[in-house]
Amino acid sequence: MKHKKTHDILLAAPGYLIYTVFMIIPLGLCLFYSFTNWDGISKNYKMIGFKNFVRLFQDASFYNALKVTLIITVITVLIYNVLGVFLAVVLNRKNRACAFAKSAIFVPTVLSSVVVAFIWSYIMQKDGGIINTILGVFGIPPVDFYDTPMHTIAMISVIISWNGLGLFMVIYVATLNTIPQELMEAAEVDGANGVQRFFRITLPLMMPGITINSVLSMAGGLKQYDHVKVITGGGPGGATQTITLLSVEKAFGYNRRGYSSAIILVLFIMIVIVSVIQISITKKREVEY
Amino acid sequence: MKKLLSILLCVLLVCGTFCTALADETKIVFCVNIQPQLPLEFWQSIADRYMAANPDVKVEIIGNPSSNVTLPEYEKNLLATDQFPDIMVMQNPADFVPSGALLPFEDGELDYLVDPEVGKIGGKQYVANYKKQIIGVFYNKDMFAANGIEVPNTWDELVAASDKLLAAGIQPFSLGLKDGWPQGQLANMFAGTDLLAKDPHWGAKRNANEVKFNNPDLVKGMQKYQTICTKYSGDNITGITYTQMLEQFFTGKAAMLPIGSWVNAEVAKGEQDFEVGWFPIPGDENANVVSVFVNEGLSIGAGTKYPEICKDFIHFFFTDKELYGEFLKSEQLFSTTKETVEYDMIPLRKNMEEQIASMQEVEGFESMTGDDAFLPGLKDYFTNKMTQNIAIGADVEAELDAFDAEWEIANEAIEDAQ
Repeated sequence: MKHKKTHDILLAAPGYLIYTVFMIIPLGLCLFYSFTNWDGISKNYKMIGFKNFVRLFQDASFYNALKVTLIITVITVLIYNVLGVFLAVVLNRKNRACAFAKSAIFVPTVLSSVVVAFIWSYIMQKDGGIINTILGVFGIPPVDFYDTPMHTIAMISVIISWNGLGLFMVIYVATLNTIPQELMEAAEVDGANGVQRFFRITLPLMMPGITINSVLSMAGGLKQYDHVKVITGGGPGGATQTITLLSVEKAFGYNRRGYSSAIILVLFIMIVIVSVIQISITKKREVEY
Repeated sequence: MKKLLSILLCVLLVCGTFCTALADETKIVFCVNIQPQLPLEFWQSIADRYMAANPDVKVEIIGNPSSNVTLPEYEKNLLATDQFPDIMVMQNPADFVPSGALLPFEDGELDYLVDPEVGKIGGKQYVANYKKQIIGVFYNKDMFAANGIEVPNTWDELVAASDKLLAAGIQPFSLGLKDGWPQGQLANMFAGTDLLAKDPHWGAKRNANEVKFNNPDLVKGMQKYQTICTKYSGDNITGITYTQMLEQFFTGKAAMLPIGSWVNAEVAKGEQDFEVGWFPIPGDENANVVSVFVNEGLSIGAGTKYPEICKDFIHFFFTDKELYGEFLKSEQLFSTTKETVEYDMIPLRKNMEEQIASMQEVEGFESMTGDDAFLPGLKDYFTNKMTQNIAIGADVEAELDAFDAEWEIANEAIEDAQ
């Protein structure tokens, strides 16, 4: 028995070690630095209590970044999950057309987010971009995707969704395949139509997948950095800046690593709270058969 | 078993000797600014030439790994992770000096430079300034001539010229906010003409909190900047990158390009089918002020084990005329050494030199050096926030007030650290 216990600990040790080194320690350091005035380069710093947090909650750029982050999160979570479920249900058939469609939707997932962002930057150009060139062929005036921050944020959200939708769809397809066919057949025999079968059987039984996908998509949205960095850099004037972009800017542009740590800590707490709420809601709706 | 042990000992002995030899090697790390005109190969060639002349020294070249990471950001990362280089291209020493990261040069060590005093911080020099760049307006001479427009000498004439171009269906200026920094050059020009021309050391007064960003001169300059951005730079300024700005100008889609002298490197390619001219941004009365960047050069890390070798390397860079000439030629730069360095100069570059000879030179506003330099972080705020907001129509005075508020935060951070 004792030998088994040692064996278990040894097997788990690498996992614990990696988690500690790359997760617990950085998080602890982030917590520590958030109470300091460290500039990120000096050897010396002072403990300044909650000053960084007080300043953070008075900082207009933080609220703007929070707004942008939440908009991106809401749009991407909706697209990933609503469209993801829809595509999974529609394409969950064994024929070549569906297999091709699933592959086509999945392909962007394997592309680097930076590459995707660069590609879409060119596609969206007002002068010479593919979209506006095609519109021009039909005599439609060019669209300026950067004309207002809201348009740009909406467009970025769509690009992020295009980049990641495939993964969420595949998870939903996998979840769909766990639903016993007999249940569907029984419902069909009982006279349930397609819509009724979807809302009464398919959707409730897909809840485990929805739980995973909603948490993953929400956390991904709140952590958004790379697409926005490449497409707008957070501009103009920080109007499309997300929380992570703001944090990096404060750390490396403004030499305020302590303040930047406070931003990240607040983001971490937000993600934890929202995830816990989300999991508790969706878990309750999961059904067993 | 004995045999195996003997082989193992021999291997250890050889490894030990090899490692000791490596440890004895004098190695300095040189962090460079990799750009299209100054690729890694160029910097490596400097290292190779120095190593050929000094066989005992190994120079390792490192540079910012991606264009998404600026050189100062990369250097701050290196410093925070105890990997700060021995020598580095330095763009904003004011960010590094407070942490004691840079080694000051002794008086007289940079006597081979025209102005070894420029950019001193607290009376000490931390940067061997290796280039001078000027900012102004490149213009399409053919387009100006075709529309009967003379080179403007006052702000009113510039507005009149822009109106005339607009009336002719030509976009007067090529400007873009998407990359964050190019629009800042035009803002720098107006700040130079309307503010720094009156008081070249205004920056030091701001740092001493004797003056505010929200002052009538800077308000006037930024209002002019806003007029150019909102009225004369097309309807897509937020979506235009630096590359697209160049493309707009060099393909004749816009008549003027307000940017730095580094664009001479593009002019030198000769791909445009028109003649390019240059003028400084005019003030209310005349066009007699030019903003100059002297903020970039070579610095030595305070933690280097080989300060004398680093100084020798920097001396070598400036005094090898062929090498320094190649460096200057890359962007058709202005030399900073006392000795003249010849290189293949395009006519426009020579013309610029003749024009500015009689002008008042002021430092580029965002990149003022020494005690005039912005407090840490404010340069980013100026380019990424304030000038962008003003360019899309924000209230100028409110933006300058916000800049003053940002100064308070930056100053408080410095006071906290002391």
